[in-house]
Amino acid sequence: MTEFQAVVFAAGRGTRLPEVLGDAPKCLLPVGPYPLIWYPLNLLQQHNFTEVIVVVLEQEKLEIQSALENTPLKLRLDYATIPSDGDFGTADSLRYIYDKIKSDFLVVSCDLVSNVSLYPLINKFREHDAALAMLLFPSGFESDVVMPGPKSKHKPERDLIGIHAATQRLAFVSAASDCEETLNIQRHLLKNRGRLDVYSRLVDAHVYVLKKWVIDYLRRKENISTFKGEFLPHLIKKQHSKRPPKTVQDTTSEVGVVTKNEDHVLHYVGHTILDQKITQTSLFNQSLSQSPYHGDIVRCYGIQAPRDAIGVRVNNTLSFLAINRKLASIWNNLCGEKHPLISPGAVVKSTQTKEIIAADNAKLSEKTSLNFSVFGPNCIISPKNIVANSLIMSNAIVEEGCNIDNCIIGHRAQVKSGSVLKNCIIGPNYVVEEGTHSQAVHLSNADQFMEIDIQ
Amino acid sequence: MAQFEKEIVQAVLIADNNVWNFKPLSDEGSTALLPLVNVRMLDYALMALNRSGVEEVFVYTSLYRSSIREHIRAGIATDAAWSFKMTVHVIGGEGCRCFGDAMRDLDNKALIRGHFILLGADTVTNADLRPVLEQHKRQAKFDKGTAATLVFKECANNVRTGNEVLIAVDRRNDRLHYHQRLRMHHKENRYQLPLDVFLGNSCVALHHNLLDPQIAIGSPSMLSLFNDNFDFQTRDDFVRGLLINEELLDSRIYVALLPAAQYAHKVNNWPAYQLVSRDIINRWAYPFVPDIGLYKLQQEYVFHKDNIYKSPEAHVSKVALLQNVVIEAGSHVDSGSVISDSVIGANCRIGKNCRLTNAFLMADVTVMDNCRLEHCVVGEGAIINEDCDVSAGCVLGAKSVLPAKKTLAKTLITRTPSRRRSDDEVVVELKSIGPHAYIVSDLTTGDPEDSECEDLLPQQPLSIPKMGDLLAPLDEISYCSDFSEDDEDASRAVTPLPDDTNIFLGEVIDSLTRGFREKSNPDFLVLEINSSRYAYNMSLKEVNFNVVKAVFGMQSIVEPANDNVLVAINAAFKQLGPVVSNYIKSEDSMMDCLKALEDVYEENHLVRGKISQIVHYLYDKDFVSESAIQAWYAQLDEEEHAHLRQSLAKLVAWLDQSSEEDDDEEDDD
Repeated sequence: MTEFQAVVFAAGRGTRLPEVLGDAPKCLLPVGPYPLIWYPLNLLQQHNFTEVIVVVLEQEKLEIQSALENTPLKLRLDYATIPSDGDFGTADSLRYIYDKIKSDFLVVSCDLVSNVSLYPLINKFREHDAALAMLLFPSGFESDVVMPGPKSKHKPERDLIGIHAATQRLAFVSAASDCEETLNIQRHLLKNRGRLDVYSRLVDAHVYVLKKWVIDYLRRKENISTFKGEFLPHLIKKQHSKRPPKTVQDTTSEVGVVTKNEDHVLHYVGHTILDQKITQTSLFNQSLSQSPYHGDIVRCYGIQAPRDAIGVRVNNTLSFLAINRKLASIWNNLCGEKHPLISPGAVVKSTQTKEIIAADNAKLSEKTSLNFSVFGPNCIISPKNIVANSLIMSNAIVEEGCNIDNCIIGHRAQVKSGSVLKNCIIGPNYVVEEGTHSQAVHLSNADQFMEIDIQ
Repeated sequence: MAQFEKEIVQAVLIADNNVWNFKPLSDEGSTALLPLVNVRMLDYALMALNRSGVEEVFVYTSLYRSSIREHIRAGIATDAAWSFKMTVHVIGGEGCRCFGDAMRDLDNKALIRGHFILLGADTVTNADLRPVLEQHKRQAKFDKGTAATLVFKECANNVRTGNEVLIAVDRRNDRLHYHQRLRMHHKENRYQLPLDVFLGNSCVALHHNLLDPQIAIGSPSMLSLFNDNFDFQTRDDFVRGLLINEELLDSRIYVALLPAAQYAHKVNNWPAYQLVSRDIINRWAYPFVPDIGLYKLQQEYVFHKDNIYKSPEAHVSKVALLQNVVIEAGSHVDSGSVISDSVIGANCRIGKNCRLTNAFLMADVTVMDNCRLEHCVVGEGAIINEDCDVSAGCVLGAKSVLPAKKTLAKTLITRTPSRRRSDDEVVVELKSIGPHAYIVSDLTTGDPEDSECEDLLPQQPLSIPKMGDLLAPLDEISYCSDFSEDDEDASRAVTPLPDDTNIFLGEVIDSLTRGFREKSNPDFLVLEINSSRYAYNMSLKEVNFNVVKAVFGMQSIVEPANDNVLVAINAAFKQLGPVVSNYIKSEDSMMDCLKALEDVYEENHLVRGKISQIVHYLYDKDFVSESAIQAWYAQLDEEEHAHLRQSLAKLVAWLDQSSEEDDDEEDDD
């Protein structure tokens, strides 16, 4: 049996990037030459994983499967499907695939593009017999990219993450929007635990290393639906709880209610008497109190990626554009040189190109100036075009004499000749009429979707 | 300008503080001259400054200016350790009533020319403050609004002496963003910090385990800030004011932490006095240890094992001293007495068979035979007669005389019979226990706010902190925290995540409670409940169940007047009956209703007691039919609902019987 199994969540619906999604699954969004989901899978492959469980929606399974078959992956993929109609949260999905988890496991989100080494994370997990270890990135990957489309009050969601400096243990993870005016910090999080660092600009990479028993516990907690929003804070809180005394029959109650003993998190931890004896005799004590780990049996750790590591979560339109624009410059750091940026099937006749990525069968004509841009499969760029900082998605056509700067041109969209577009989002299948001059607008066919600002 | 050619290092020393905390000894002289392990506190502070390379010190005093001046003069005359390469000025006046006044006065006198070290005379530290001063100057060059750098020291947070703080510091530049003094007698369960502190900075470090030794590096602007803001009374006011009006005052405070090897503590009350004495005896404050001639430049003690410092001129047998004892010249201990963890001043006499633990005796104290002294301070020249038991934080004022065979605990004794209250000039008669011993109760000492240079927390209870066993609070804390954690955990477990059903139930309860109180039209309530029903997508079954549950969940039934639940139910159904019967019509819905009752039965012990009457009542008022009750009773699990079945058995039997007899005679319960 392997030490760790890996689970990649690819059943997200991509609610935060409606403009670019079209009808394709979120995990198949094109990031450079590959679909989004290839990046976390590649990351796992680089860490010598051979088998990965991919959680997908039932209806999207075939599409994802065929897309991944076209990529150079040696992983054995085990597709776990969840019903498309059910409103499954991440925790629900984990509960759903409960039977597949046989050992400690990694959970990775399909929208992670990173070159970070997971070994420090895994080693911390091993070293301290942790219940959970999570990876954190510094934010700001997309800070220098202007969001195309109409100006909106784009407020990134921020987490407040408290980590004990000496031990890297997580004290709390909470969304800043959940707090009112003040942040409440319990005394036991501060007492005898030294310095507590509170970070507001770290991004949860959605890479978690988890103990097997965690999913047993999660299975019990049926009212918990999301992993990040509900289960993670719950588990982190439970770190400090003490094992309740063995159930005593409630004598006051005439009914004799059976107390659910297994309801408590600590009954799930495989903490044997031998473990206790080892702890007692061990000289190891990192904490400032009498017993190692303050006697906490559940331990959660937060590991920060090194500063120079690349890490971005492609979960909104802005980060999607940012990763595509910057991909060429970070490609070698990200994946090594093994994977060519200009697909062999692409036809690139343009001579003035700088840091571009062209997918299979993209036709980039001569007499064009193409910089810092990504060209999807089957897209056609006619001669006499200037395209900079943009993303041209599959089957899109740009006719002659256009100037496109910081735009997203959707699938099968068409930009007719002479158009000048800056900071625009062109929806899928949309046809930009000849000679259009537009700036900072979102052009799309009809109201295919409503934009709901959840925040 | 000439003064910039060589900038001399200046320091300000605030004396005469903590007057209230050190009563009654502070009535007789400056607290700065109180001996701590037989050396005046002022000398510790001066030596700390001397070691940090300070060249000019201003000692700011108010009440006892002459005695402090006299002490400084004597120190220079006898070549005290601090008198080299350092000039000491004593300034101040009677009008100065608080720390803020002192700062304003200093600003007006224009004595301070650059960045300066600010210290209380009650600080004991062996820290080298030069690196902190340099860091402050660098910071000031970078940020013109640098007002001060506060110096903190990490500590074990087990004993609170009123100096512990919780601060939030920006990790990038050590800027202070939040400052909260931890209360001495109160353990906070949680701390509330403004969210902006965290959102505005990428990484903020929270330090909870810090001790504030009242050391600061001030910029010249610090003094003028005090002058501009006349409401700044204490240093804490200054910190608070600057943090709140950061932009308005354009000033910032930075933080420096002392390295682990350096010692710093403030002696601001008796527990701290005890703590620091212990630390000095245990050599944590090295080189400030008793066997190095701290003040007189001559060795006064011989250092024995177990931290026993014995003057060669003290007459005491070795057996008498257990551990951690300092005994000065001229003292005499008779046979049979045992001393540990104590400090004995010069020329003390201790009789036979005495036990002294954690006792602090100033000079010329006489303790007669068979006394027990524990956790107490005895002022200069005091006499304790035979067979006394003095413990738990007692303080005996100078020259007081304790009669024989007294047992004292937590009491302050003074020699003088009466005391004037500082504010209203009322003479308070003190309770006498001897011709030269009067009990000072905490209340007669006056409000702490009234006394000089006080920097206590306003919330602090009106009681002078007393000495005690330093280890005792430790257990209490750990017990406390465990308890609170458990407690919290329990409450967490009880509150389930609100799902739609619970929200729906909550809304129905709200609607019904309001309808019941305001006697509103039942039709409107039905409308309200129905709209809630559609909002949460409840099935009809769930609605039936929850409406009945909601009726029984109303406050008036959960906590009925006089615990008479039947009356309450009757009142509720009188008003809300139409609402209930709107939902409970069919046999199925009656089953839902009884199921809900089953739930209520388990939650509400009053209902539990009267369940058969309640079911009977519902039957009487035609909410539930006979067959529904029988069907419900039949499906109740034999084991799980044994009690419920038992309570209902009679009723069901009666129903069976009455149906057989076809008797519909009604009996009111």
